[in-house]
Amino acid sequence: MTETQILIESILQLLVTGVLVGALYGLMCVGLAMIFGIMRVINFAQGDFMMIGMYVTYYIFGTLGFNSIFGSLLGPYLAVIAAAPFLFAFGWLIHKFLIGRVTGVASSGLDGEGHYAQLILTLGIALILTNGMMILVGADLVSVRTPLSSEAWTLAPVAEGPILIFFNKARVFAALFSGVVIIGLWFMIQKTWMGKSLRAAADNAEAAIYMGIDVAKAHRFAFAVGTAITAMAGGLLATNLPFTPFVGLEYVIIMYAGVVLGGIGSIIGAFWGGMIIGLIQQLSTLVLPTQLQNATIFLCFLLIVILRPQGLFGRNVERT
Amino acid sequence: MLKEIIKSLLPFFMLAALYIVLAMFVTNSYYQLIMTLVIIWAVFGLSWNMLSGYTGLISFGHASFFGLGAFATVLAQVNWGISPWIMLFVSGLIGAASGLLIGMPTFRLRGHYFALSMLAYPIALLYIFQWLGYPELSIPRVLDNPAAYMQFSDGRVYTVIAMILLFVVVVISRIVEKTRFGMALVAIKQNESAAEAAGINTLAWKLKAIALSGAIAGMAGSLYSVVILVITPGSVFGMLTSAQALTVSMFGGAGTLWGPIIGAVFLIPIAETLHAELGNILPGIQGVVYGAAIILLITLAPEGIYWKIRDWLKKPSDEKDAPQENADITIVPESLEYTKRPMPTGDIVLSVKNMSKSFGGLKAVQDVSFDVTRGMILGIIGPNGAGKTTLFNLLNGFQTPSGGEVLVDGVNMVNQKPHVMCRAGIGRTFQIMRPFKRMTIHNNVKVGAYVTAKTEAEAEEIAADALQQVGLSSISEKLAGGLSTKDLRLMELARALAGKPHILLLDETLAGLGSSESKEVVAVIRKLSEGGVTVVIIEHTMQAMVALVDRFLVLDHGEVITEGPPEIVTRDPRVIEAYLGKKWVTDAKN
Amino acid sequence: MLKIENLSAGYSDVSVLHDVSLTVDAGQFISVVGPNGAGKTTLFKTISGTVNCHGGSITFEGEDVLKLAPAERAHLGIAHVPEGRQVFASMTVFENLQMGAHTKKGRAEWDQNLEKIYTWLPVLKDRANQYAGTLSGGEQQMVAIGRGLASSPKLLMLDEPSMGLSPAIADFVFDKLMEIRHDTGLSILLVEQRVAEALQFADHCYVLETGRVVLEGDGETLKADDRVRQAYLGM
Repeated sequence: MTETQILIESILQLLVTGVLVGALYGLMCVGLAMIFGIMRVINFAQGDFMMIGMYVTYYIFGTLGFNSIFGSLLGPYLAVIAAAPFLFAFGWLIHKFLIGRVTGVASSGLDGEGHYAQLILTLGIALILTNGMMILVGADLVSVRTPLSSEAWTLAPVAEGPILIFFNKARVFAALFSGVVIIGLWFMIQKTWMGKSLRAAADNAEAAIYMGIDVAKAHRFAFAVGTAITAMAGGLLATNLPFTPFVGLEYVIIMYAGVVLGGIGSIIGAFWGGMIIGLIQQLSTLVLPTQLQNATIFLCFLLIVILRPQGLFGRNVERT
Repeated sequence: MLKEIIKSLLPFFMLAALYIVLAMFVTNSYYQLIMTLVIIWAVFGLSWNMLSGYTGLISFGHASFFGLGAFATVLAQVNWGISPWIMLFVSGLIGAASGLLIGMPTFRLRGHYFALSMLAYPIALLYIFQWLGYPELSIPRVLDNPAAYMQFSDGRVYTVIAMILLFVVVVISRIVEKTRFGMALVAIKQNESAAEAAGINTLAWKLKAIALSGAIAGMAGSLYSVVILVITPGSVFGMLTSAQALTVSMFGGAGTLWGPIIGAVFLIPIAETLHAELGNILPGIQGVVYGAAIILLITLAPEGIYWKIRDWLKKPSDEKDAPQENADITIVPESLEYTKRPMPTGDIVLSVKNMSKSFGGLKAVQDVSFDVTRGMILGIIGPNGAGKTTLFNLLNGFQTPSGGEVLVDGVNMVNQKPHVMCRAGIGRTFQIMRPFKRMTIHNNVKVGAYVTAKTEAEAEEIAADALQQVGLSSISEKLAGGLSTKDLRLMELARALAGKPHILLLDETLAGLGSSESKEVVAVIRKLSEGGVTVVIIEHTMQAMVALVDRFLVLDHGEVITEGPPEIVTRDPRVIEAYLGKKWVTDAKN
Repeated sequence: MLKIENLSAGYSDVSVLHDVSLTVDAGQFISVVGPNGAGKTTLFKTISGTVNCHGGSITFEGEDVLKLAPAERAHLGIAHVPEGRQVFASMTVFENLQMGAHTKKGRAEWDQNLEKIYTWLPVLKDRANQYAGTLSGGEQQMVAIGRGLASSPKLLMLDEPSMGLSPAIADFVFDKLMEIRHDTGLSILLVEQRVAEALQFADHCYVLETGRVVLEGDGETLKADDRVRQAYLGM
């Protein structure tokens, strides 16, 4: 194999991995976009919601016996699906008892329209979740074990050539799963009554009230859906990433970067934002040491935000 | 001035002295450490407060400055044997410089974008320092003359050093609060646009704030590294570090120097004690309790302890709304006499030439031209949506016109920033009033006085004078939060006057006022005009205006439909049509 | 049908409305005029629940409106067409109309309503798939009105439908309103700055100033009233 071939091979391999990882990041970002993008609630606990999703998936897969019932191939994905309603309910309750107190109408008289209060409240939630999980389950690394994560399809793009690209099976399934969830969500938002009321409430809350839409309830629903989606992304991630209760912190930053890149307020934009983060993360290893791949993400993020604050895909809705 | 500041800080000095006395009795080295850490986190909180508390621009990235200070201090001693005594100050400089570097690009952003971008800096730094190969750094022990390297066997010495730092930072914070610096920052927080219009160069002040804030954070980080001995990129650049600054400040109350101090005194001992007592049995318990404490407090006092207590103490009990005027039929002003005074014939002070502005396809202002002579009162009227406010925004620099010129005293000032326009003598009020609610009327007006005032005393004087002109002197120490619409309008007028403008742009100053109230305000405007100020006033309805203005400019759909003295304009069929529709015209003829 | 008695309302601690009483009977056209800042919009918002009521009562067909959550009030049959149109800018015209039909009755009668709305306001049919934010002011006003009608309301509350519209378009909007009223017999409560229309079409008219009703009467009487003529133009 010549040097050029090696280079081409590694670029293609990184592109493939970037897209697969990016699809998963995209799903996470979409979950956050439901919360931050639509309702402008700064939720610091989003990474920990993801972490909870990972553990719930882990226990459904292991303790509840999905592993033995459905096997280690199908089991993890069914566990992810089974975890979603739990996290939906979890998000619903968190919003009802905590977040709802500092958002919407309740926050109108507060400093910074309640953003200060939201920030510190979600920080408190994040602290409790991280540390509470540590007390409950300890800080040992666990993962949802599937043989798929160590298997790969190979593809030789040039017939008979030496170039070989690997498609990690667990990642491919996770990416496909993400795609299905996002298409489902898109359909829900675009076509159903619930989705349309949600968009109306996000677009103009006051007018939505005049239409008879219960805006507080719509927000709660969006919050719960956002929680469930990010948690599903976490469950999928758990199939090829060992984790501890502290995993949320790193990903919450990736999520915000993705949402802002895609343009605050745009659901589909958030997906592409996550995808770009995945690609940057992988491709940066071509020129930079691996330890710096996350630093690159944030530098690119800064550059894009400062040069194009409305995000890559956002309409210029928020000028100031 | 200084005396006043010292006096206002007496409670702090007393508490600080008490704290030090208490600290002297602590012999357990672990508790000595906690007592020092409380102070360091309070300093760090004050640093955050300097930027985010006063300006309202939330920073998630204060760990950048903190971490740079910490690493600089440790690396300097490890590599070059430089004492932390020197590095404490160098860290301040590093913090200030990085503040400027970060601020310059990032201040282009606002709101969420700003907050989230600030988050990216410490994280990027964290990865860079990890990559540089510093997973863990510790301060080398110095055996020979350890005091020269800030190394003491008695932990209480650190508490004293930290307290001296806190002392300095508190005094600086109070000076900032009490001077134009703090006033400018608070004005930015409340309404950046209004601040610009009041002559405040917002970018310059924000940069000063972030530099000062960075310097304090750098010093806090430097001292932290000395006290804690071992640092890792995660422990100083990590998100929890930024969160710590934000938490202690918001918990105690952002925007006041007491906030971070209260927050640190409450939270740090809880977290540390729990960690020490229960950390082995239930690792993470301190996080849970800490989180629960935060949640509980924020649901009870969403703006922090300090503000909650203050609002509680200062609850206005004796001030009921002034009785409203009687609901007699007052829609007709007593006199519809037209102005009898001669039309001012001075030189032209403001000349607008072919001004246009479109938003997308909508032409908000089209080819508008008019002149304003010295001392005149020009009324701009037109229906809602006619482009009146847009015209003002173009005149004072909030928006850039698509075409045209604005000549102020013959100089073309088009495309200048609002604070430059303000300095050129154009003052302005807003249709939607944005008082700085937690400031007194006097201080609200004082913000406007800094444009021309060189000293605090001069600003005080200008503010008092402006208040006197609008007749608010007697209530100048009331908080702006509970004022009536009329008093707010007058206060805004005084704020604009404090900038010593020679041209005043008044945007719907009479909106929402009853007839007798609006007469009062009209009288004030008239008096100002007689004092030599040129006035351009936007109004929605003509009634009160007829008796006030020398000339009318009538806008509809962004275009001037007519211009002239009141008695002619009010009889113009086009004006009548724009206001009342064709039906009225046909009816009126019958 | 709508009965407001001794209402006072406003923001946190400041009252904007004082002791306002007003009634709308079935099929009536009632208008409220007054200068900017008199509290006209606040009155509407209090009825719809987005501004706090400090005292007094509001009943709609005998039901205590103040007891209901803001979002429930639309379901009574009150359609509020807000000041400045407030269309859902990022949604299509068709979706805007659908949002209007969020009420139970609106959903049940959706097909007939849509057909009627398209007949009255054919421009909405032409623009059905366009984002409402991209429409002109006049067209947005039609969307807002159509959206209100889609809820099958008993009472249509219009807050300054002519705001920011050219006289010709405003005239057109009023003609449409009269046509709709003629066809349906809908009760209308109108807030307007264009006094002529407000007075001409109204069965009864209220003049609001600094949050109080200072004058009321039927359109013809007020129109002939010198005080009104002078106050609103200086004629």
